[in-house]
Amino acid sequence: MIKDIRIVSRRFNLPQSHTLEVARQHGAYRSIETLTERTPEGIIAAVEASGLRGKGGGGAPTGAKWRLMEGEFDGRPKYVVVNADESEPGTFKDGHILSKDPHLLIEGILLTCYALGAHDAYIYIRGEYYERQQILQHAIDEAYEAGILGQSIMGHDYRVDLTVHRGAGAYICGEKSALLESMEGKRGHPRLKPHQKEPEWYFGNPTLINNVETIATVPFIVTEGADAYRQYGTERSPGTLLFALSGHVNRPGVYEAPFGTSLMEYIEHYGGGIRNGGTLKAVIPGGASTPVLTADEAAQARLDYESMQGLGSALGTGGMIVMDESVDMVEALKNLMAFYHHESCGQCTPCREGTGWVDAILARILAREGNRDDLKKLLDISETMNGKTVCVFAPAASSVIDAMVQKFETEFLRYLDTGGAA
Amino acid sequence: MSTQSVTITVDGTPIEVNPDRMLLPELLDKGFSIPHFCYQESLGSDGNCRMCMVEIAGKKRPQISCDTPIVAGMEVRTRGESIEKVRRDILELELINHPVDCPICDQAGECSLQDYYMEYGLYQGKVDKKEKHHFDKHIDLGANVLHDQERCVLCQRCVRFCRDVTHTDELCVAGRGDHSYITTIPGETLHNAYAMNVTDLCPVGALTSKDFRFQQRVWFLATSPSVCHGCAKGCAIDIDHAKSKYHDDTIYRFRPRKNPEINGEFICDAGRLSYKETQTYLLRTCLAKEEILADAEALDRMKAILTEDEYPIVVLADANLYTEELAALQAFARTFHAQLYAPLEAYHDPAFGDDWLKSSQRAANAEGVKRLGIATEMPTLNDNTLVINVNHPDGHRTANRIDLLTHRPDENTERVPARLTLPIAPWVRSSGHLINEDGIEQYCEQVLRRNDPTPTLLERLAHFLDKGDDTILDNMETAL
Amino acid sequence: MSFTWTSAHRAELDALKERYPSPKALVLPALWKVQEQEGFLSLEGIEAVAELTGYSKAEVYGVATFYTMFHLQPQGTYTLQVCKTLSCALNGQGTILDHLKERLGIEVGETTPDGQFTLTQVECLGSCGTAPVMQVNDTLHEHLTPESVDTLLDTLSDKGGSL
Ligand SMILES: Cc1cc2nc3c(=O)[nH]c(=O)nc-3n(C[C@H](O)[C@H](O)[C@H](O)COP(=O)(O)O)c2cc1C
Ligand code: SF4
Ligand code: SF4
Ligand code: SF4
Ligand code: FES
Ligand code: FES
Repeated sequence: MIKDIRIVSRRFNLPQSHTLEVARQHGAYRSIETLTERTPEGIIAAVEASGLRGKGGGGAPTGAKWRLMEGEFDGRPKYVVVNADESEPGTFKDGHILSKDPHLLIEGILLTCYALGAHDAYIYIRGEYYERQQILQHAIDEAYEAGILGQSIMGHDYRVDLTVHRGAGAYICGEKSALLESMEGKRGHPRLKPHQKEPEWYFGNPTLINNVETIATVPFIVTEGADAYRQYGTERSPGTLLFALSGHVNRPGVYEAPFGTSLMEYIEHYGGGIRNGGTLKAVIPGGASTPVLTADEAAQARLDYESMQGLGSALGTGGMIVMDESVDMVEALKNLMAFYHHESCGQCTPCREGTGWVDAILARILAREGNRDDLKKLLDISETMNGKTVCVFAPAASSVIDAMVQKFETEFLRYLDTGGAA
Repeated sequence: MSTQSVTITVDGTPIEVNPDRMLLPELLDKGFSIPHFCYQESLGSDGNCRMCMVEIAGKKRPQISCDTPIVAGMEVRTRGESIEKVRRDILELELINHPVDCPICDQAGECSLQDYYMEYGLYQGKVDKKEKHHFDKHIDLGANVLHDQERCVLCQRCVRFCRDVTHTDELCVAGRGDHSYITTIPGETLHNAYAMNVTDLCPVGALTSKDFRFQQRVWFLATSPSVCHGCAKGCAIDIDHAKSKYHDDTIYRFRPRKNPEINGEFICDAGRLSYKETQTYLLRTCLAKEEILADAEALDRMKAILTEDEYPIVVLADANLYTEELAALQAFARTFHAQLYAPLEAYHDPAFGDDWLKSSQRAANAEGVKRLGIATEMPTLNDNTLVINVNHPDGHRTANRIDLLTHRPDENTERVPARLTLPIAPWVRSSGHLINEDGIEQYCEQVLRRNDPTPTLLERLAHFLDKGDDTILDNMETAL
Repeated sequence: MSFTWTSAHRAELDALKERYPSPKALVLPALWKVQEQEGFLSLEGIEAVAELTGYSKAEVYGVATFYTMFHLQPQGTYTLQVCKTLSCALNGQGTILDHLKERLGIEVGETTPDGQFTLTQVECLGSCGTAPVMQVNDTLHEHLTPESVDTLLDTLSDKGGSL
């Protein structure tokens, strides 16, 4: 049976949890009050030892990423950027942190800045999160007034300034290098990958980017210790994640759970099962860029990186889209490909042209004007989109196409066999 | 090569390469054919077209060679079933929104896209025409540049040129995804003095020159290497010309010719368009005041004036003349005890100069003039001096004068009529050396075949110099 | 036409400049302020942003056209942004959209003749758990039903365009 574990969401249900007063009554900023007890190295070491993995979708080890920020870099300033672009369909967990416990995020940012020697931090928030941005900004204003942010954080001889940077409607700006391009005032075109391990660069200065939830996990690790975090989850996916449910479940929403939880148990326990007592057909496990799981696969799935990978999918952001037997999978894929078509930054050929072509072919299939070659064509284009582009947007789309077409081929064939030019 | 070269293996053959560069430029220099749109020698890599894929041993996926650093011992494959399929597939995607209208495209014959899809056997468009996106096909970007958005492959070379080379930033990619397009901000145009270079940079027919459009299919053109005479920079150019039946050999355009020491791969628009001046308003007849003379008659009269008149003689030479021509004028001056000047002040044009290529010294061989020790000031002249004006822009102030001119005098300038006027061929009809303002000497071939009987300056001068006397040649040798 | 920053915006931008390593970072914040002032991005507004940030006008134009929330044309008083992505589609966004089209008598991308409502479809609004959703200007409306949409439109129409 599932036991509730609340690390990041522990204050979510308190009335007025977003206010400084309530947050402080329930432990916010303790780690900053006692900052003198810690060294930057101590904080980095704790994050490293906790095994914390990035919660923006990639699951990269956070400690190792922080280590890339060590060094002098010719005295250039260091920056911390929090990724609150959250635009991956099916994903809405960061929004909960922003609106329910913004002070947890600010506390995490302070610790991160202090650990890495950064004095300026930014939160890049998607433009559509206007109301959530208002709440966040209010929390930041409160923190400034209380001397928690600013020239000397909670009286310590350390400055941290925090600025919210509003996006304007572009999923790709969640990709870290596109995000930085956007913050440099440019179009959100992802950058070419560096040839060696190095930090990100903001106007040529070393910069760390982490997801909202990743940073919001740091206070717990710092105050409770790496082992306290590691007691949850699995060996290789330690801790918890704010998983989310949407689609055909009775109680959609965001519920924190340890990595390794059984997917079906999670759906039952938190989601209250399939809507209207229906049967499960498929689950997209971690946001729209993870390959779909059939009901059979979902039955074996555990919510951790390794298990999902073992099933040929990915944990992604942990935002699950649950589909019952009423769903037409051709329409579902068309819906997702319309998204990819709309959101491709357009920089590289395979993605710019591939997403549009796939979208057009699916439209043709749905209009019953497709032919059997179209399925092969879809897989061919998908192959060209895989591993040949600047960023992993196109490969993600490719994996989504492959899984849908391969796992639900009969549904596609039904469109092609009843009419059409086959 | 400045650094130690290293050995890598390409398609089974070991080659020596410079490890400081990315793989693609090295492979291209070594003669490998690798399709590429966005990489461009002067603009560098951008990594957006994904065409330049090669296989690298040990890497699971093909890599874009324009962003692959060279490592000693690496094994590269540019040919073979699998990598060619990758390229073909990407090319096919590139073509799905492209009109493939080569028969009516100006770029046909010098289009990378066309070359590649012929090479990769994609001639028949695989996508339904009706599924293609339609964009604007005839956009006037200003500065003689026309844009066809449907043909654009979004390599961003044009944007990068205006951003990184001219720093004028008139162009941008607008829109997103497959609705992206190249544009200026509405209502504005290209406004830099080098804008037409984007028509050379564009790898397809998406940016074409309004000036050149539909004038000639490129495969009819002959190309001669030459040097622009627009200013003292002396940019290296290729001159494209063609002789069609019943027509004179005609110049259709100047294009930059690569010369890393002078102009890289670029020229200014003024220089580019100056080809027109080489074939319009040319002087073809000899005149005595208003009276038309036969060439032989004019020469006789000129000889007579030179030998019979008692006036001291001053020769005013155009500082655009080739070094050989200037040297010949020196010999001529010696023969007739004349003073030779090539006054440079007349060519000073501060409005023209900038901090890149364009020089405020508009004379192409001002440096050659100086090296030959020819006086560069304007002498005080009156009608007690006989002036032999060899195409000098300020040479028409006195009446006691013989003109040797390439062009018909501009009717708008106030001009004292010369006693005698003889045409000489423009620079594209002769050959010789120029020394640019940085002291770099270049040779200009004769570009045009003889269209009309107008002699070159050297041919004219030959009549006045003792055939046995090889002073001219001597002088030329010391000059060079 | 010309564009001048309101003094409040100008002051905010000046203060914001101190927060960044380069004024170039101000492109998005400044474009937002132009849109706030004008309701859309005029070319003059774009020019003002170019001047402020040191980018060229064309570059700022390229940026403005990249992001879907920036409008280069005036919009209706209320821009209805109906989420069309999967979780909302699974939960009846189609019904909501049809209802809106019928009630307003316009298609997606159009504005009602009185200039009140512009109907658009957008990708996932990050509120999949409360699907179907739509954002009206900057305000999110969740768990939509045809009835709740009617009530909402009634209230907005009553306000007669004042926000
Ligand atoms: C297309 C694309 C979209 C992304 N969107 C987001 C996002 O909205 N939020 C996020 O935190 N990370 C997103 N990422 C991942 C980021 O690039 C980056 O890895 C992450 O922010 C790093 O933080 P983390 O290590 O804490 O997860 C996206 C990646 C890609 C390729
Ligand atoms: S893969 Fe797509 S989103 Fe990523 S850089 Fe290329 S075009 Fe842009
Ligand atoms: S117009 Fe030509 S140079 Fe410019 S992006 Fe398009 S294809 Fe490239
Ligand atoms: S800079 Fe001078 S030499 Fe070069 S192309 Fe222009 S006019 Fe000709
Ligand atoms: S030339 Fe290498 S990606 Fe375009
Ligand atoms: S799918 Fe509509 S809010 Fe996410």
